[in-house]
Amino acid sequence: MIFVSVVLSAFAAVTLWWTMHAWRTPETLAATRFAPPDGEQHLTFSLLVPARHEQAVLEHTVQRLLRSTHEAFEIIIIVGHDDPETAEVAGRVARTAPARILVVTDHNEVKNKPRALNTALPYARGTVVGVFDAEDQVHPELLEHVDHAFRSTGADVVQGGVQLINFHSSWYSLHNCLEYFFWFRSRLHLHAKKGFIPLGGNTVFVRTDVLRRANGWDGTCLAEDCDLGVRLSSRGAKVVVAYDSTIVTREETPGSLAALLKQRTRWNQGFLQVLRKGEWRRLPALRQRLLARYTLTGPFVQAFSGVVIPVGVAVALWARLPVFVALLTFLPVLPMAATLMFQVVGLRDFGKEYDLRIKWHHYVRLVAGAFPYAVVLAVAALRAVWREYTGRRDWELTAHLGAHLEGSPA
Amino acid sequence: MTAVELAEPVSVVPAAVDDVRPRKLTRNADLVIALGLTAVIVALLAWNIAGFPSASDDEGTYLAQAWAVQHGRGLAHYTYWYDHPPLAWIQLAGLSWLPALLAPKLIAVAAGRIAMLPVQAAGLLLVYLVSRRIGLPRWAASLALVTYGLSPLYLTMGRQIYLDWFAVVWILGALALALSPRKHLWHFAAAGAATAVAILSKETIAVILPAVLVAMWQSSARSSTRPWAFGAFVSGLVLVGCFYPLYAVLRGELFPGPGHVSLIGAWEFQLGSRAGSGSVFSSGSGASSLLHSWLYYDAVILIAGAAACFAGLALRRVRPVALAGAILVVVALRPGGYLPAMYVVQVLPFFAMAIAGIAAWAVTVLRPGRVWWRRAVLGTVILLCVGAVAPRWYVGDRRALTADDNAPYARAADYLRGQLPGREGATVVVDDVLWLDCVNAGYPPDKVIWFYKIDLDSAVAKRLPDGWRDVDYVVSTPAMRQDPNSLPTVRTLLTNSTVIASFGPQGGQIEIRRVDKETK
Repeated sequence: MIFVSVVLSAFAAVTLWWTMHAWRTPETLAATRFAPPDGEQHLTFSLLVPARHEQAVLEHTVQRLLRSTHEAFEIIIIVGHDDPETAEVAGRVARTAPARILVVTDHNEVKNKPRALNTALPYARGTVVGVFDAEDQVHPELLEHVDHAFRSTGADVVQGGVQLINFHSSWYSLHNCLEYFFWFRSRLHLHAKKGFIPLGGNTVFVRTDVLRRANGWDGTCLAEDCDLGVRLSSRGAKVVVAYDSTIVTREETPGSLAALLKQRTRWNQGFLQVLRKGEWRRLPALRQRLLARYTLTGPFVQAFSGVVIPVGVAVALWARLPVFVALLTFLPVLPMAATLMFQVVGLRDFGKEYDLRIKWHHYVRLVAGAFPYAVVLAVAALRAVWREYTGRRDWELTAHLGAHLEGSPA
Repeated sequence: MTAVELAEPVSVVPAAVDDVRPRKLTRNADLVIALGLTAVIVALLAWNIAGFPSASDDEGTYLAQAWAVQHGRGLAHYTYWYDHPPLAWIQLAGLSWLPALLAPKLIAVAAGRIAMLPVQAAGLLLVYLVSRRIGLPRWAASLALVTYGLSPLYLTMGRQIYLDWFAVVWILGALALALSPRKHLWHFAAAGAATAVAILSKETIAVILPAVLVAMWQSSARSSTRPWAFGAFVSGLVLVGCFYPLYAVLRGELFPGPGHVSLIGAWEFQLGSRAGSGSVFSSGSGASSLLHSWLYYDAVILIAGAAACFAGLALRRVRPVALAGAILVVVALRPGGYLPAMYVVQVLPFFAMAIAGIAAWAVTVLRPGRVWWRRAVLGTVILLCVGAVAPRWYVGDRRALTADDNAPYARAADYLRGQLPGREGATVVVDDVLWLDCVNAGYPPDKVIWFYKIDLDSAVAKRLPDGWRDVDYVVSTPAMRQDPNSLPTVRTLLTNSTVIASFGPQGGQIEIRRVDKETK
């Protein structure tokens, strides 16, 4: 019991330390932002938008992409051959801007996002490939910022920020939004600095030649984004992360708890697959390999501790343990409670950066929902392990309703 | 065609080196000054530490509790009743084994005092560091350290074992962290944790929490991370601090109830039922005589420091330390409260820093480098100050270095160690100072009893079924004779016993008395 609580508190403390990376000092916080663009445009972009049963949101997404202030970009929409509704929307949008938009049909029998992306890769003409999801709300100035980021840093990969916005939709969406906030605002920057980064699924930009040399995405992996990041990191690609709340890509949380569970299961299982693939073993430094191992197993330990710590505390309170042992079981609560404290501060910051009105009951919800959310994460982690070891590796898609779009009911 | 001489570009590398070296030198200079002054003052503290001042009951109490922690007997060798949070004597337990190992001949209190010297050294260094971090120049930080360390009040109280010293060191550490120039998030979290440790070392230090908050507020001004800094501070403070009530909860001793002590019950006693020591303004009250005893040792630092604290509130950089001092003054002046004898311990470092802060401000305003007469004014003021302070401090400090007030205690401890007839199995009633000496001399700990526990602790009374007749010896000291009416059993013991050995002068003597069980 003592051993478990010491290990768990060490883990939670390290996670907290890394999660708070961006806010360590005012200087680190300033360094996480996009540098303001210089107004020049030198790169050409191919923006891949895989869409599957997403006819409801696709058109809006593409229209917004078309409003981009950058001159040189094309949009490649990838639709499945068995999905006429989405194909119909894609075709209609393409006709509004035939010079900019190309629709590619994916004929793979088994459909998933990496296969769709790989289908489109040969058609990409730009020097940089960018990936967006069909429900993304992309800021018109994003491409200019990315163009500048590539040129000023000499990067091979630029990861832009992604943020879930609809924190008010449900109790879990609040936690989900904050997870994104902490991940993109802070944690990813640490990974970029240390040279090991699991990339995000969208608003990620890779130099086309680098991507082609890496043979594109892994069509069998459930977390193709993470896998790509790991493979590029281990080949020594330079990854830059930049976050700016004004040009961040806005997304929505999964529409139901079941959808969240599925999505999280898929990610977790994907992380497991990446771990088992072992590409990360090629990372040059031991520290990087340790970070890789830690990050890829992270969701499982986190899920485990999120449930075990409160249970341990309950045991300590009700079972008659020696006082010293009982006090020790409270040790992991320190980083856990501190995490919650920082989430409260983070929620306030989140509201300020995105101009959202955070009310007192949101804070209450945040604190009250912490344990249930940890349970959800734990269930997803268990489910992922179960599916991976029973060999169920199919792609469970998350449905999108458009709750993050402007004018949607709050 | 004429060749144009191109100007040599300014070399960049040497400039960088030029920049680095002074900074390193600066840091080293600070280190040398602070360590040097601290070493001198710690040497002054250590000189005659066993002889002056006379051992007080409180010192014995804390040492005995540290002994209980060291020997795995819980937080106290009697029932721990949440009188104070235990962290200070837990820390003392971590330090006090060393002098006992090096000099076993010393009486326990003297050994304990030596164990406190590292704590004093840390406090002195932190006074310098905090002074530097509130923006004082090196000379002013040194002035703060010297004012603090050479004050006869410090050289007296600084030798004694008080929980407050731990609290002072930790709160100074919290201030230093809160004022950290790097504004690192974890420094702020550590500042919160240090504040919590300070409060768990001595609860009364909690009143200067606002000073730490002001320091944090100033330090994170115009910074994008201020809310995070406060989040980190609060996390550190609350999460470390909550372990104390948690301990009470786990033992089922949070709320008052029949048959057990409780945390909240102890608080109720401390805040509500404890008799106040009167106002410092009404002569004859406990608080007033206490203040006069402090003023007797050193009026300079108390009067100048109090004035400097209130003046320092107007200066932005000095405000955190000035606020701490000012709060402590206001709390001490509140009517009807309880003023503990060691209260001044918490006050001294802040007074010293405020004095230095005001001095630094005055020099900056005067700008003596400009005109000769300003330099003359400054010189005169310095001469006057030194002339006024030095003789007083010389007298006070010399007393601290030469007086031998604890000889009777040392001889009584010697006697108890070797000459007491029939000591095997004897039950001895002593004061807190000699308790640990008896235990160290081999008396079984449950046969040596603090005198007031006979009357006040039901668990102790149970061990003596025949009441006072179960006691074989009583060691009478001034502390025991101070208030005989409140402790009936002790009074009975003193009247029904004969002196077999006596040490020290009339009035302050320590008597070893054998209890006369036959008389009625």
